[in-house]
Amino acid sequence: MSAATSPVELARLEYRHRRLRAPSLYLRLGLVAVFCLVPLAPSFQIVDLALKIALFATLVASYDVVIGYTGIVSFGHAMFFGFGAYAVALSLGKFGAPTYGHLLLGFALGMLASAVVAAAIGAFSLRVKALFFAMITLAFAEFALILAVQWSQVTGGEDGLSPTLPGVFAVSFDAGRALGVAVTGRNVTYYAVLVICVALFLTMSRFVHSPLGRTLQAIRDNELRAEALGFQTFVFQIIATSFGSVMASVLGGCYVLWVRYVNPESTLGVPIMLDVLLMVIIGGIGTLYGGIIGAAFLITARTLLPDLRAVGAALFPGSEILQRMADRWLLYFGVLFILVVFFFPKGVLGTLRDRMAGRVGSARS
Amino acid sequence: MSRRAPLVVALIAFLLPLLWIEPRTYLTLTIAGLAMGMLIFLVAAGLTLIFGLMDVLNFAHGALFSWGAYAGFTAAVLLNGRWGWAAAPSVTANVALLAGALLAAALVAIALGIALERAIVRPVYGQHLFQILITLGATIVLEELIRIVWGPNDQVMPVPLTFQGSWDIADVVVLRFPVVAIVLGAAVYAGMMLALNRTRIGLIVRAGVENNEMVQVLGHNIYRYFTGVFAAGSALAGMGGLMWAFFSQSVRPAMGGEQLIFAFVVVIIGGLGSVTGSLVGALLVGLSYNYVAFLVPKAAIGVTMALMVLILLFRPTGLYGTPR
Repeated sequence: MSAATSPVELARLEYRHRRLRAPSLYLRLGLVAVFCLVPLAPSFQIVDLALKIALFATLVASYDVVIGYTGIVSFGHAMFFGFGAYAVALSLGKFGAPTYGHLLLGFALGMLASAVVAAAIGAFSLRVKALFFAMITLAFAEFALILAVQWSQVTGGEDGLSPTLPGVFAVSFDAGRALGVAVTGRNVTYYAVLVICVALFLTMSRFVHSPLGRTLQAIRDNELRAEALGFQTFVFQIIATSFGSVMASVLGGCYVLWVRYVNPESTLGVPIMLDVLLMVIIGGIGTLYGGIIGAAFLITARTLLPDLRAVGAALFPGSEILQRMADRWLLYFGVLFILVVFFFPKGVLGTLRDRMAGRVGSARS
Repeated sequence: MSRRAPLVVALIAFLLPLLWIEPRTYLTLTIAGLAMGMLIFLVAAGLTLIFGLMDVLNFAHGALFSWGAYAGFTAAVLLNGRWGWAAAPSVTANVALLAGALLAAALVAIALGIALERAIVRPVYGQHLFQILITLGATIVLEELIRIVWGPNDQVMPVPLTFQGSWDIADVVVLRFPVVAIVLGAAVYAGMMLALNRTRIGLIVRAGVENNEMVQVLGHNIYRYFTGVFAAGSALAGMGGLMWAFFSQSVRPAMGGEQLIFAFVVVIIGGLGSVTGSLVGALLVGLSYNYVAFLVPKAAIGVTMALMVLILLFRPTGLYGTPR
């Protein structure tokens, strides 16, 4: 019987108890509820914004599994996202009329490709130094981008692909209204993608809190010690990076479901990778849920930026300098990047959690 | 495996394309490949020393490359505009222009490099994650600044008359500028080897690459040496950028990022911290890229990756890397 109450199990029991009472659980449920209600909004722009936030928040979380919980910097995450996107788009577009089978096949192929490539890159690089992974994934990502642009018979080159979706996901699908929501292809897709995002989030949360996840954090914090404890560290690291990459490819598929379009720039490119990096830093590395904050902030800012520029032009008419400054938003992006890393290295959620932990700690003592 | 194995492999890779390419074309390609390799070497050598010495992975190296190119470009345009040094058929004037542009590139890159090291890299020593992120941020900023100062479009680089065109030696077309690049690269390599192996500073830097704590214990301020290495690496990157601009006859704001990927591959192939390794790696990449670009143009980028994968399969730490 003593085996059943090992310290680890005790800690887990306590954790479960605490979780049920924690306000953050209700916060999460509330957030999901809000996302469920969004299609009631009158303008499509809001719905689009909401789903993109959900998608990217999940993507950032999957990146966080790699960068935050495993401590490995990958520049190939956008590439795996692109793998999923292209796999789904290709399997829907290349084999006649699209069916659900094609859709599933696309997702499966994307996941398979991501798992294989991530494991292969990991096997080459992580054996020596985790840092190699950053350099090699960067090189591979560039390679994938060039491949997608040049191999235009298959990938459509710069123009990309715009697949048609089967059955209930098709634009033309319309089955009246249910519970005040129009049951159109758009809305069905919205809920389908939302469900997938929530499911992935739960999977990842489970993953990082599993014994495997704990091992990964141990390796991140002190690799030598983890090795001394008998863990084959690089095998664990490969599992983690492959897991994160597979998640990313599923999200890539979802992205195509929603946007119905894929091109190299919007899925494989470096800008996407930079966005994800900034989102994870803003939200907080190693928090999983921080991605929601990071994604919400960055995507909203990105969407509102043109409006802001219009406002700026209206307020200061004829000021060319302002206009030119506004054109260089990537510059502010870079400055923000540096400032956040310097002064806010734990991100919003990480800092908040530290504050809360600090308050609890001081109350106890 | 012996230390010679990499050279044998390199030699085989070097001669293999003769099976498909006729010898004259092969020689032309080889010179282009060597030149490209030398230019990549300039970038990779600084990167590998910075990494070897202080365990800092500097993603901003590519931005320094671009800044060097643009600084040299400005110097070249100014010199050509005022005295017509590029258009003049005089060898002295042409060489002076090259030297002036190189100096400008190196100085700007050194200034930027030192500023970067002091302001951005130093606070995050020992934290790989933050080093990568922060140098990445610096790259974005520096690249955007180039777009602001010089405009976002490609610009044509004035190439001095002496270095344009080609020599025709026994029916082999020998482009002139690549030869200059090869000579410069060889000189830099020789200079680096001399500095590292024959001077006291070089000794300390090499010892620091081996074990930087021990060097600190012996009373050397490794940080000061590191700033020097960082500055030297930046100068090499800047000069590499300028040479690349001459080579491709244009400057582009994004040129550094693309070269950085090549430099990373080279550093991985050669082994982290090894200057000779990056030379061999760079030449391998440059040569194979040119051969394959001639035979199967679309596979050119792929061959670089294939090369890296192949080498890592047999030597996980790179050709000249020391096992951990």
